[in-house]
Amino acid sequence: MSDNSSDEELAPDWIPYRQRSDWADVTPIEQDDGENPVVVISYSEKFKDVYDYFRAILASSEKSTRALELTRDALRLNAANYTVWQYRRDILKALGCNLQQELQYIDDVISDNPKNYQVWHHRRVIVEWLNDPSDELRLTESVLSMDSKNYHAWQHRQWAIKTFNLYDNELEYVDRLISEDVRNNSAWNQRFFVLKHFGFTPEVIQREIQYAVNRIRLIKNNESVWNFLGGILHDGGASISQHEEVLAFCEELYNNNVRSPYLIAFLIDLCQEKCLREENAESREALGRRVAELCDGMIREHDVIRKKYWQYVVDSFQLKLNRLKANNDGERNDGTS
Amino acid sequence: MSNVNAICRRKHAKFFMRFLDLLPSRLASHDSTRVTIAFFAVCGLDILNSLDTIQPATVETIIDWLYRYQVVSKEGEVECSGFQGSSTINTSVPNENITKYKWGHLAMTYTAIATLVTLGDDLKRLNRKAIIKGVAAVQRDDGSFSASVEGNEYDMRFVYCAAAICAMLNDWGTVNKEKMAEYILKSIRYDYGVSQHFEMEAHGGTTFCAIAALQLSGQLDKLSPETIEGMKRWLIFRQIDGFQGRPNKPVDTCYSFWIGASLKILNAFHLTDYEENRSYILSTQNTTVGGFSKWPDSMTDPFHTYFGLCGLSFVNEPGILEIMPSLNISMRAYKKLKELQGHWAPQEPEECSNCSIIDIE
Repeated sequence: MSDNSSDEELAPDWIPYRQRSDWADVTPIEQDDGENPVVVISYSEKFKDVYDYFRAILASSEKSTRALELTRDALRLNAANYTVWQYRRDILKALGCNLQQELQYIDDVISDNPKNYQVWHHRRVIVEWLNDPSDELRLTESVLSMDSKNYHAWQHRQWAIKTFNLYDNELEYVDRLISEDVRNNSAWNQRFFVLKHFGFTPEVIQREIQYAVNRIRLIKNNESVWNFLGGILHDGGASISQHEEVLAFCEELYNNNVRSPYLIAFLIDLCQEKCLREENAESREALGRRVAELCDGMIREHDVIRKKYWQYVVDSFQLKLNRLKANNDGERNDGTS
Repeated sequence: MSNVNAICRRKHAKFFMRFLDLLPSRLASHDSTRVTIAFFAVCGLDILNSLDTIQPATVETIIDWLYRYQVVSKEGEVECSGFQGSSTINTSVPNENITKYKWGHLAMTYTAIATLVTLGDDLKRLNRKAIIKGVAAVQRDDGSFSASVEGNEYDMRFVYCAAAICAMLNDWGTVNKEKMAEYILKSIRYDYGVSQHFEMEAHGGTTFCAIAALQLSGQLDKLSPETIEGMKRWLIFRQIDGFQGRPNKPVDTCYSFWIGASLKILNAFHLTDYEENRSYILSTQNTTVGGFSKWPDSMTDPFHTYFGLCGLSFVNEPGILEIMPSLNISMRAYKKLKELQGHWAPQEPEECSNCSIIDIE
């Protein structure tokens, strides 16, 4: 919740609509909030003035250049008012306005309100009308350069890429963001989005494993890249334990005394999966013990805040294992009887 | 107990009362969403067990005020029934041109009904049929919902609002629940969080919206056991001391609700660290004038105050009422709602609280 509306954003020489001769033909209409309203906003004089005239043009359905200008003032006072945005679009349409100019205008509004839903929605509608996404990658890049995790900007960017097939250079952009901040989860997500579009071929999976591994070597305790690695293996159709090189990499880190909870969590998943597939009873027991040991380390030392969770993980695993054993024993007994 | 460690209940109650009354002009950017502020204030007072701070006459005043925002479309006109968020375009003399722009908005409709229920209203003035038609009218082909009939975005937030409205009114009309579930399933990410829309980044708020909508529509069983375990992992990993909304983002008080409620629905909240969570939330309360903020020593607001209190409710803070996680109202209000539903009822009473469906050990 922010309070980014400010009268100061209207120019200092701003003249109330009530005093403007070119608006003398319009009778302002007051807001009617009925008897005893609650959550009342003590509107400033400017706010009241502008919205009194906004209601007036809405009532007369006036769609003119001056009405367009009025919506601009109304939006400067409250950029979240979706009715004003809608009416602005209705005016733009009725007057056949130059929409490139409108894009320019939204550029400015977005840079003032980069986390406002209505502004981005307006942008999208105008781009759709123009059927021209040529400026969208630049715009979102500029917003993301201020805040590389701005969810609105990413959503707009994904929409533009999907709608207008702009995937081609996206991997390079994402790569740059990841090298600037390897913990940027939004960028990792975008990487996944682009890869999925082009398809997870075995070559891509191999390359991406390497990409992730190299970045884990830089910073081990980075959840974003661990999640990405898990996703690549999973979405590539292979189970995580089928990639021996990943397991070897994790073991190597572990043997080098890396105790990041994300590494250990990954190892726990790998060992559980391997264990449940293991045919040999002895190896299975060993893997089972490993899972318990790793969880125990989490509980006692490496991830104490989640100790109840890791206890739950090891308990659920034990149950699964016992069930598996009982099934196998059952089958064996069936065979001998 | 020292002051920082205790919750300043009376100050928070006063804080909410101020917002119910009058907002300074610098908050004019909330002019179109005043109903949500009433929701945070009223429901916040409720979970503080301080609803009686509002005088009975004022309760009636708030109820009347909310009903004035109800829009009911006429037969044959564009279907846009629901609640407006404010009176910005309301005029004393009705005007047809203006009426064309009066649309219900799903978030306002959800928060208006939740507020009415919490205030003990009998919902008799609610045009339930029209409202459900309004919800169905904004469902899109991909299963998601727009906020309003025109001029607004569509995403997981409004999927949640739609599900909450239908669950509260115990009527899904022609809403396509299966399509809605498809949309949700398609928005589960590779890390098992849920995004705001398809392949966006997983996010704590939208993960709540998704899981709650599935529960409210009785479709939690559409999540595979593997997915549920993955979601639990993703959610539990959001705890730092309080909770963050995305990996590698700062902790924020409101995620003690979004993540906490998601885990509650999945029966896994007990696996979190209560003490760390509680300490973080309390570190963001303003002990002088009441209210909570997202970070310590920051600006308080009704949104973070309400969700901070919800977070404390989940860790069983004394004096705070229990929350019904998926509807995001107190259990007390939820029970009143169930009574009302019992009186309507030609429909099969749909059991909302199917939390236990998903009790996986």
